[in-house]
Amino acid sequence: MLEKLMQTRLFKWLDERSGAEAIIKSQLTEYPVPKNLNYMWNFGSLALLVLTIQILTGIFLAMFYKPSAALTYGGYTVAFDSVERIMRDVNFGWLIRYMHAVGASSFFVVVYLHIARGLYYGSYKGPRELLWIIGVVILLIMQGAAFFGYLLPWGQMSFWGATVITNLFGALPVVGEFLQQLLRGGFSVGDPTLNRFFSLHYLFPLLLAAIVGGHIHALHVVHSNNPEGIDIDKKDTIPFHPYYTVKDAFGVGVFLTIYCYIVFFNPQMGGYFIEVDNYTPANNLQTPPHIAPVWYLTPWYTILRSFESKLLGVLAMGASLAILFFLPWLDRSKVRSSRYRPVYRQMVILFFICVIVLGYCGHSAPTPTLKLVGQIATGYYFLFFFALLVLPKFEKTKPLPDRV
Amino acid sequence: MKLKSILFAGLMAASLVAVGPAQASEGHGVELKHAKVDTTDREQLRRGLTVFTEVCMGCHSAKYVTYKNLMDYPELALSREEVDELRGDKPLTAGLITDLSPEDAEVSYGKVPPDLSVMANARRGGADYIYSILTGFEHDPEGKIPDGNYNLYFPGNRIAMPDPLSWLDHDEADTEMLEQQAQDVAAFLAFIADPHQNERRALGFWVVGFLIVLTIVLYLLKKAVWADVKH
Amino acid sequence: MTDQADQSRRNFLYVAAGGMGAVAAGAAVVPFVASMMPAADTLAAAKTEFDVGTVEPGQLVVIQWQGKPVFVVHRTEALLKQVDGHDEMLKDPNSEAIPEVQAEWMDTPEKRKYRAIKPEYLIVVASCTHLGCIPLFKPTPGRKDWGDSVPEDWPGGWHCPCHGSLYDISARVIKGSPAPHNLHVMPYKYLSDTKVVIG
Repeated sequence: MLEKLMQTRLFKWLDERSGAEAIIKSQLTEYPVPKNLNYMWNFGSLALLVLTIQILTGIFLAMFYKPSAALTYGGYTVAFDSVERIMRDVNFGWLIRYMHAVGASSFFVVVYLHIARGLYYGSYKGPRELLWIIGVVILLIMQGAAFFGYLLPWGQMSFWGATVITNLFGALPVVGEFLQQLLRGGFSVGDPTLNRFFSLHYLFPLLLAAIVGGHIHALHVVHSNNPEGIDIDKKDTIPFHPYYTVKDAFGVGVFLTIYCYIVFFNPQMGGYFIEVDNYTPANNLQTPPHIAPVWYLTPWYTILRSFESKLLGVLAMGASLAILFFLPWLDRSKVRSSRYRPVYRQMVILFFICVIVLGYCGHSAPTPTLKLVGQIATGYYFLFFFALLVLPKFEKTKPLPDRV
Repeated sequence: MKLKSILFAGLMAASLVAVGPAQASEGHGVELKHAKVDTTDREQLRRGLTVFTEVCMGCHSAKYVTYKNLMDYPELALSREEVDELRGDKPLTAGLITDLSPEDAEVSYGKVPPDLSVMANARRGGADYIYSILTGFEHDPEGKIPDGNYNLYFPGNRIAMPDPLSWLDHDEADTEMLEQQAQDVAAFLAFIADPHQNERRALGFWVVGFLIVLTIVLYLLKKAVWADVKH
Repeated sequence: MTDQADQSRRNFLYVAAGGMGAVAAGAAVVPFVASMMPAADTLAAAKTEFDVGTVEPGQLVVIQWQGKPVFVVHRTEALLKQVDGHDEMLKDPNSEAIPEVQAEWMDTPEKRKYRAIKPEYLIVVASCTHLGCIPLFKPTPGRKDWGDSVPEDWPGGWHCPCHGSLYDISARVIKGSPAPHNLHVMPYKYLSDTKVVIG
């Protein structure tokens, strides 16, 4: 089909002025991809899809949303009212908002699996260090965008979540108070905070789109890793189009089926995607009995809570994300894939379990047992990275095949 | 392939373990009663509306629901005459707002009664919670909280709302009627918390059905295109 | 042979998937476009109720309907007389040029002339049909009160300050005005003696 399209006069006209044919050839029809990628390699294209969904639905929601904390009847605010207007009066507003809310969680599901794939098969290793670093930047911006977005409905969770997180910055020495006021635009989370968070929530996805472009560019320079983790012989590659376009399309079909099932039948996901307490309007005089961030931020929240000292907690949380930048240099093993690294494989699987445990602890109300579990998991989180430094000294890797 | 499935199984199992107890631990210790509600049942929703306007609206509002909505939502579909009788001289586009002023409420009950528009979404358990609260007024076994302020299902048991359906010490013969009223109003509140929910589910049936077929076609296409790739 | 069968099977699947994908994309556009149309609360506010009894004789009141200004004039006997005698000055004396200037109830020449269900209450959209300015109410005939902003044989009515369009006291446009049509009438009906619902 693409070939026929490229025969048309319109395409020829376009090609002479844009070099479209060369781009299509180098990026699609002649772009070489290892033939042995498994379905874990589908999550990159899915992340791009979800980003598109988020930007599209977000643009439309912004046509109706009003970022104002001015009080209205019944203890509600202009912002909360505008969200309810979207849910009730705007044609298909309910659909667009649920798509956006479920999309936020889906984005993290997809991206976390994408990262897990990278960790398991050593995709962060040379020559893909820059690709990995851009990916970590994307993760941080995503978390920022999600955090800004969560304030917008101006419910109880919005308000107290923003209060807690802006307080984190206040814990930093010297610049803490400055940073805190810079974020809040006041002495507490209020109307100015809501206004700037809306602006930033609109800005960050645009940044994301640009940086995702860089991520894809970096990928197309160094090409995909593969489950064997070995450098690929030219004979073992196939062109991206049509092979991986149809495989990605199938992945998109599976994803959209699950996504739409949740959007249409269980959009709040039992309080995981839209928290129950966020249906209560923000009240700065009353904290909800149990406050926890949305599920995708809970692992880092547990790391924060694992330390007695507020400053240490904040620093540890920052370090837990920052350390990802250094991963390509912490792990010096020449072998990439876990398939040929028996010890690393155990370690990384334990790491995944540890992140899930951290998430569970962060979601639950704090108890002494959970706190201890959280501290152990936090310990392992950091141990994992530092153990990588010494791992190549004693890990006996399996012999690598020449070809896949 | 094997490694991948182990990895997947591990992730799935762990996330299931994580989700299970998290939800259970969010209750208040007492298990809620199950409310029989059907947000597509016009009769139940209309009975619930009556309970709402005659009992709840003495103190509570549902400001996001207008009188006109009561005509326009097909689940309720009240006639213009019925709505005119309900609204008196309030405009058709006004919300269902109580005549009790917030100031007076504060004096009488110590706090302003919350708006009920999204209450079914704002409490864990939703309709079950509302039903349980309305039929949860009891005598405090410890005798500390006065009658009418003790509720088995309310967090901390001390509730500011005085027993609206007169559940406490009701006549044995009225149990069924009161339970029905509580369920009806729970159904109504569950409906207005998300008034497009039935439309959403009906549409979702077609959307998901279509996507399943599309996904199958895409799978077959993937297999056909990949047929000549040797592993 | 089998290669060919495979090829045609593959092509069929391409077309099936592409077709279904196009349907899905098309369907996905619908809610987004629909969301930009007036929302339920906007539509609910599309009708305006007004008591014309509150307008003093000879007075003009501007009310809002769907966010647009609407003239309500209580025409006295004297003003009603000003409707007659200048048909040759009008572009469309019988209000029949376009659907927007007529209404179902304009079933007699009398009603087409007065352009009102009850002649004493004229209710019209207050936007000049030229470019949408709100015309000024200049009810008395001649230049006595209005100077040379109106012609010498001014029958009384409206003068648009933007480009000088003129309308008579039934809001019918006078020849030579840049405005093409009489002021539009909108659907309205009397709920009681003086209560009207517009829209």
